[in-house]
Amino acid sequence: MAELLLPLRQLFEYFDAFESSIAIRESQYLYPGLLTAHVVALTMFAGLILMMDLRLIGVGNMQTPFSQLQRRLFPYQMVGMAFSVITGLALVYAQPMRFFVNIFFWVKMFMMALAGLNALAFHYLTYNSVSRWDKDPILPPAARLAGALGLALWVGVVVSGRLIAYNWFQ
Amino acid sequence: MLDIFDWMNNLGVSVAIRESVWMSPLVNVAHLVALVMFVGAVLIVDLKLVGNDEGTPVAAIARGAEKWFLWGFFLLFVTGVPQLISNALREYYSVFFWFKMAMMVVALIFTFTIRRRVSLAAEGTVAAGTRKLVGAVSILLWASVAIPARLIGLFT
Repeated sequence: MAELLLPLRQLFEYFDAFESSIAIRESQYLYPGLLTAHVVALTMFAGLILMMDLRLIGVGNMQTPFSQLQRRLFPYQMVGMAFSVITGLALVYAQPMRFFVNIFFWVKMFMMALAGLNALAFHYLTYNSVSRWDKDPILPPAARLAGALGLALWVGVVVSGRLIAYNWFQ
Repeated sequence: MLDIFDWMNNLGVSVAIRESVWMSPLVNVAHLVALVMFVGAVLIVDLKLVGNDEGTPVAAIARGAEKWFLWGFFLLFVTGVPQLISNALREYYSVFFWFKMAMMVVALIFTFTIRRRVSLAAEGTVAAGTRKLVGAVSILLWASVAIPARLIGLFT
C-alpha cells in the first residue's frame, strides 16, 4: 500500500517545496482569508444543493416544480462550486503534507467523488424523464434515491472537511 | 460584562467541553452543517428576490423555506452556545465575536420585518427594484454574520 501511494506522496512533496506554496502557508492573512472564502463558498454551494435534495426527497420546497428549482438554482450552485474548488485547491497547495497525512481529507475526497457520480447519474439518467414527474409531490424512486444520496454524501463531505482540522489519526 | 463571560467560562459544562477530546469537534461540525441548511434556506428566497419574476411566486417559496430557516437557526443557536461558553474569554476579547453578534441582531430584525413583508407580499404589489434591494441586503447582512464568525477562531 505504501508503495502504491509513493507517487502521490512525491507529488504532494513536490508542491510542498514550491516558494508560492510556502508563501501562502506562512502568510498572516492569505491563508485565513482563503479558509473563510472556502466556508462562504461551500455554504452557498451545499446549502442550495440541500434545498434541491429536500425537494427530491419530498420534504421541502414542494411548492416549486423540480425543473424550475433546478433552472433557478443551478447557476448559483456552479458559482459556489467554482469558488469552493479554487479556494480548496489553494488551501491544499499551501499545505500539501498536512492534507496528505490526514485521513479526513481522503474521506472527504472519496465522498466528493461519490457525490459527483450521484449528481451525474441523476442528470443524465433520471432527469431525462422530468416532464413526467416535475410537479408530483412524491417523485419516482430513482429521484428520491438521488436526493437522499446527495443529502447524505454532501453532509459527509462537509463533516469530514471540517474534521480535517483535528489530526487525531496520524 | 466581563464578569458574565468569566462566569460562563468557569461553568462545569464549559470546563468539561474544553477537556473533552470530541465534544468541541462534534459541536463545531454540527454548527457547520446547521449553517449549510440555514444559508440554503436564506439564499433560496433571496436569490428569488434578486432574480427574475417568473415561476412560483416568491411568497410561496418564502413560506416553504421558513421551516428550514427556523430549524437552521435553532440548530445554529443550540450548537453556538456551547462554543460560546467553553471559549467565553476568547470570545469576549474578540472584536469579530462582537461584530458578528451585532450583525446578527441587525440581520434578524431585517429578516422578520422588511424582508418578511416584501417576500410575503402579494405578487405585483412590490416594485422590482425594492424586491432586488431587499434580497441583496439580506445576503450581505447574513454574509457579515458568517464571515467574522469564521475569523473568531483564526485571529485570537
